Amino acid sequence: MTEESNFYFHIATTSGVPIYRQIIDQVKTLAAFGRVSPGDFLPSVRQVAQELEINPMTVSKAYSWLEKEGVLESVRGQGMRVKEDRISKKDMKERKDALLPLLKQVVIQASQLSLEPETVMALLERLWKETPHE
Amino acid sequence: MNDPVIQAQRVTKRYKAKTILNDLFLAVPRGSVFGLLGKNGAGKTTLIKCVLGLVYPQDGLISVLGDNPRNFLERTKERIGYVPQSDRPYPWLTVRQLVTYTASFYPLWNMALVDRLLKEWELEEEDKVGLLSEGQAQKLSIILALGHEPELLIFDEPVASLDPAARRKFLKTILDIVADRECTIFFSTHITSDLERVADRVALLKNGTIDFCGELDVLKDEVKRLRIVSPVPLPRDIPVNGVLRCELSQYEAVLSVRGFHAGIKSQMEQRLNARIEVEDLNLEEIFLELHA
Repeated sequence: MTEESNFYFHIATTSGVPIYRQIIDQVKTLAAFGRVSPGDFLPSVRQVAQELEINPMTVSKAYSWLEKEGVLESVRGQGMRVKEDRISKKDMKERKDALLPLLKQVVIQASQLSLEPETVMALLERLWKETPHE
Repeated sequence: MNDPVIQAQRVTKRYKAKTILNDLFLAVPRGSVFGLLGKNGAGKTTLIKCVLGLVYPQDGLISVLGDNPRNFLERTKERIGYVPQSDRPYPWLTVRQLVTYTASFYPLWNMALVDRLLKEWELEEEDKVGLLSEGQAQKLSIILALGHEPELLIFDEPVASLDPAARRKFLKTILDIVADRECTIFFSTHITSDLERVADRVALLKNGTIDFCGELDVLKDEVKRLRIVSPVPLPRDIPVNGVLRCELSQYEAVLSVRGFHAGIKSQMEQRLNARIEVEDLNLEEIFLELHA
């Protein structure tokens, strides 16, 4: 349980999306992007609750949901870990679905800024190349 | 042990001819952070006073920690902490004197916690209680309610006169308490953004009864705003249950509904042959829609 806090959840308490769902979505996205890898520990319920100043029950609700879905597994005395075989076996559709909300945002923002799809694609490609992958 | 900490059944409270609470049911589960929402004058304070046995309902049963508020045992009172809406007893005492005086009523008192909070919340021990600002007085009465480490905390509009920074400190204190030990927190408020952060359950008091009582997340899942866009003119009556509010033009409609689930969307899309977008609502929006 040493380096588990090198990422943070971002939540919007006044958005209509329930907070536990925001956490679930973010864990899935982090996993899909490889920001957390199988075997990584997530920050403890208490840590997350204190950091985000939200009810600990909300965090544990999100974690147990993710456990039920097979994304996380709980390790006695150590906390919640990203499950070993989860990401590799996760099918294409699920991984795509995890990315969709973000992409939707990109599309909305891009069209508000009157950017052409080609420009966005080019940007995305450049970013992809510049960002180190595992 | 799974009995609700607070349970009200068929509670009716009238002041003269005016019915404030009408055949009301409420259950507050152990360990929950429970927010009581309602407009001004909805009866939040009356309900809290009934729960505490400060006023008696004409009808119905209330049980708090398994005891009857009409004549609480001393033991039960020691397990409850209460912060009224405004409270300034003994204005001639200093903050420190009032703390010592209050502590003397309880067999157990966590002075270390109280001292820490006084410092954190920037209250001067030598200030006279009568000269504190509204906000400071409210902070003090919150701290005093925490000193005996009650297992049930009841706040009536705890943050009404606190500034945003103090409100955050208050919420943080609440969260620290529920993280550390089992404690049930029942509070009334009309500041929905605070509630959204800390509460796991809410009840909405409206027309003297509880309009919704349950998990906050469930409430958010069930109340949605639907935007309908149709290629053909829409019927004047949109076929869906639980409509709270509806704005209808020929090809477009915006309606808020309760009791929503995913099946409703596809069902309506088929029946109306229209496109429907489902919007999530935050608690403030839900509150407004439920009062529309």
